[in-house]
Amino acid sequence: MENWIIYILNGLYFASFLFLTALGLSIILGVMGILNLAHGSLFAIGAFMAAWIIGALGVHAPVSIFILALFAALILSGLMGLVLETSLIRPMYERALEYQLLITFGALLLIEDLIKMTWGGTAYYASKPFEMMGILSIGDNQYPLYFLFAMLITVVAGIGIWLIMAKTRVGIMLRAISMDREMAKAMGIRTGRLNTLAFGMGAALAGLAGALVVPTTPALLGIGMEPLIIAFIVIVIGGLGSLKGALVGSLIVGETRSIGIVLFPEIELPLLFLVAVIILVFKPKGLFGR
Amino acid sequence: MTKKKIGRREFIKSAGVAGIGLGAAGLLGSSVKVRKATAAQTRSIPKTPIKVAAVSFLTGAAAAPFGIPGDNAYKLCADEINKQGGILGRKIELKSFDEAGGADAQVKLARKFILEDKVDVILGYISSGNCKAVLPLSDELGGLIIAYDCGTHVLMEESRSPYKVPKYGLGFRSSAHLGIDNIGLALYIKQYYPDVKKIAGINPDYAWGRDSWLVFETAIKQLIPGVEVVNKLWPKLGATDYTAHISALIGSKAEIIHSSLWGGDAVTFTKQAIGMGLFKKARMAYSRGEPYPQEVGMGYPEEQIICCAGTHYFLYPAKDKWPLNKWFVEEFYKRYNKYPTYPCYHAYQAIYTYKAAVEKAASLVGGWPSQEEISKAAAGLSIETPSGMLTIGEDHNGREDVLVGISKKVSGYPFPILDPARMAIFPAHQVNAPVGIRTEDWIKGWKV
Amino acid sequence: MRFIGQFLRPKSFVYLGIFIVLLFMPKVLPIYQLMLFESGLTFAIMSLGFNLLLRYTGLLSFGHGALFATGAYAVGMMGRYFPELYRIEILIPVALLVSLIVSALFGFICVRHTRIFFSILALALSMVLFALLVKLYDITGGSDGLHIDLPSMFGKSFEGMRRPEFLSGAYYYFLLCTFAVSTIIMLGIVNSPFGKALQSIRDNEVRAEMIGIRVRRYRWYAFVLSGLFTGLGGALWSFVNGHITPEVAEWVFSGEIVYMTLLGGFMVLEGPIIGAILFTYLKLYAVSITQYWMFIIGATLIILVLLLPEGITGGFVRLFSRIKKSEATGAA
Repeated sequence: MENWIIYILNGLYFASFLFLTALGLSIILGVMGILNLAHGSLFAIGAFMAAWIIGALGVHAPVSIFILALFAALILSGLMGLVLETSLIRPMYERALEYQLLITFGALLLIEDLIKMTWGGTAYYASKPFEMMGILSIGDNQYPLYFLFAMLITVVAGIGIWLIMAKTRVGIMLRAISMDREMAKAMGIRTGRLNTLAFGMGAALAGLAGALVVPTTPALLGIGMEPLIIAFIVIVIGGLGSLKGALVGSLIVGETRSIGIVLFPEIELPLLFLVAVIILVFKPKGLFGR
Repeated sequence: MTKKKIGRREFIKSAGVAGIGLGAAGLLGSSVKVRKATAAQTRSIPKTPIKVAAVSFLTGAAAAPFGIPGDNAYKLCADEINKQGGILGRKIELKSFDEAGGADAQVKLARKFILEDKVDVILGYISSGNCKAVLPLSDELGGLIIAYDCGTHVLMEESRSPYKVPKYGLGFRSSAHLGIDNIGLALYIKQYYPDVKKIAGINPDYAWGRDSWLVFETAIKQLIPGVEVVNKLWPKLGATDYTAHISALIGSKAEIIHSSLWGGDAVTFTKQAIGMGLFKKARMAYSRGEPYPQEVGMGYPEEQIICCAGTHYFLYPAKDKWPLNKWFVEEFYKRYNKYPTYPCYHAYQAIYTYKAAVEKAASLVGGWPSQEEISKAAAGLSIETPSGMLTIGEDHNGREDVLVGISKKVSGYPFPILDPARMAIFPAHQVNAPVGIRTEDWIKGWKV
Repeated sequence: MRFIGQFLRPKSFVYLGIFIVLLFMPKVLPIYQLMLFESGLTFAIMSLGFNLLLRYTGLLSFGHGALFATGAYAVGMMGRYFPELYRIEILIPVALLVSLIVSALFGFICVRHTRIFFSILALALSMVLFALLVKLYDITGGSDGLHIDLPSMFGKSFEGMRRPEFLSGAYYYFLLCTFAVSTIIMLGIVNSPFGKALQSIRDNEVRAEMIGIRVRRYRWYAFVLSGLFTGLGGALWSFVNGHITPEVAEWVFSGEIVYMTLLGGFMVLEGPIIGAILFTYLKLYAVSITQYWMFIIGATLIILVLLLPEGITGGFVRLFSRIKKSEATGAA
């Protein structure tokens, strides 16, 4: 039954970049109370940036170039996030939450076309790292090492975020804001600056996730739309604003999808949405939501 | 006192709103062109250029393997026709448009072409979903539409045999539909792998994928009755991650896997499958796989069964045997540095079908023909193409032979080609259902 | 009595005038422009419904596209499975009935929450419907969608007629009248005691509860009414477009609904109507002048939210009140 090991590994691989995306979305939602509809577009920026770098330079030393590409993607998306937050979202703090949602929707439209203007309309393939890393034999089957590498990066990033949140002053302040914004302000925490930081972090995570998929998937216009929706499902299942929830949610979604395709190939996506709705009905704040 | 104030404020507010409304109506009205009564067709030939709208995927995953080569082929052909003097002396003015954006966007675009831009003909559509949505507009709005690449057979077939033809008076398809691909694959498998026991399918979840599998399954079960279908997968069109599907296919132990995946999906799938070792365990049978060895390059696996959506292949018919293919391949390579693939051949077919139909109709009516007259002339037309002969049936659908081969690395080419020793050509009458009969019904009636 | 009293205001005569002008549109506009205008009218009906929820109840639904799709697919499925009943006098009530059921279901789930949770839940539910429409290929036509034939209207069949003729003839008047009636009904709802109750819930939920208004129940009713209007818009739109796809159930279209309403201005009843019609043209011309139309729409949305959050009608209202103010001070 080594096939089942592969199915579970597949689920973990899918859960990896899902987790990064959902984590970013969750941090933004938790700290700022905004559902960032532009999150998928930030994912796309990461994907294009990485694909472009790999395509341009990756013929030589693909793996180290790939690590470079990951950082570049992370930084670019993070910067974009900072720009977005300071220019568009900050003026909206005093307004109704609904306006903030709309602004991120407008940002999505803008960024999608900015990507089109920068990188054009064709697909960017960047499969060198995937091919170069080789395979691992699991019994009779083979499993690409790249998938394990992606999972490793995700774990590293996840631990990094956890350390920031648990151990640094900044992280503790972020958590305070997400628990009770008014109280945090009353205690003198500079919510404005921290909001920007949170948004930047979330955006960088999305960019990293985008960069991780390009060795197996071409960077295309609209690549971020589906990750946005599935990440949204993840945080709904796991709990809005909960980091643990993002982890559990991604695992549930990733494995459901992987095993679902094997056992019920007709169902795929609707099953996930339905699960999300059922959970929302009973636990409107998600499994671990506050 | 207060009442009057409110009244006035209300009135001004409403007048303002009304003003907006009237202003908008006025604006709309002033941009009006009074509807001209259609003048009776005089039998002269206009001097103005022929407006042709060519629609293919210019962005997105399908652009590089399909849309852009197809569009390039249109440009090549239009230039060639204009070089030879145009159609009845009128030059072709070809404008290219992007097929991306979904069926709804294409419906709106086609409506604009016909009603506002008043194009002479629309040559378009790679995606079967777009064809299905747009072709009804040909009769609804009165514009000639020639579908060039989409393959779903239900575009022109009805749900019961026999059915009345043609389905659309002004709608055509200048290529054969997916029947030839999938019947061709089944015939090939029967010829070369008659002992196959387990087959599976992975097809995109829309008309093209569903219908391709349907025809293939019907045909293979007729030809090899003992075969077992161990898995059927339906990733959505444009899915980017096939890892779970690939594992499921490996797990089901299929020997031959049918697939109508195309465009970027086919490339992504192939690359992921190579990494997961699918091709060590099974063989793919691609219903329209001809472009992908060139797209993927030397990494493309050998021993994959590939159908060419007709006999469209840069190496067939051989250059010394069929000069038209020699010209087409060389000219295309010279301009675009790539060998033409089947969308390119399909594009040739579309634009030359239009040309031939116009010329035939003109010779009958003695002047520039109307849309209806062109349409009548097109039915039953036969033309020479770089791949062989194309016939347009009374049902407005193309009929062609089909070529199926198997990939092999041969020195002298930068990507695997079809092994010349194992190419099979199935003639048109063996793979195209007769006019008016549903493809599935026809297959079920075969005496095997 | 108060209801009738509304109609004797000067505003009503202006609207009557506009209505009469609109009756002449088919004679004046070329068919392509007329079809666009008709699309705009169907979106206007939809936006009226949407705004009942937004402005008067204070709930932002990011999933109204699903309700629009419900109306459209009700027509499409009737055409596919019950072609003998393909009459507009049957199709519209069926679409309304299906919209009623779906909105009641969605609403029941959504109104248990407010603010961002409400919006998120609405989005999630709309994506369930979208995914179902796409996956159930054999029933719904999947992502390829369904073609919509011309229905017969009150006994008169339009078999063999081309869609442009149909749309510039009988159907236009039917649509215009439906639009007028919908607007009048919405006006009635908004000014009725029920409407006032909704607004009091929006302003202060706790106080409303204290004076005996059943908050959740009323919100549910508002959602259902909103869904009815939106579904009606969807059904009427299906005939104009001739083809329906699951895309309208997707959250991006739901976002466009919000945009339309905001563009016209959600503070005023007429705002969404104007926004819907304008948006139809805005999107079309953006698409035709540049491939970067999303940038244009996105930029205008952001500008709207930042500078003109009450939309175009809001802008006019402020302009007029400023004129009034300067008049008053000038007179003094």
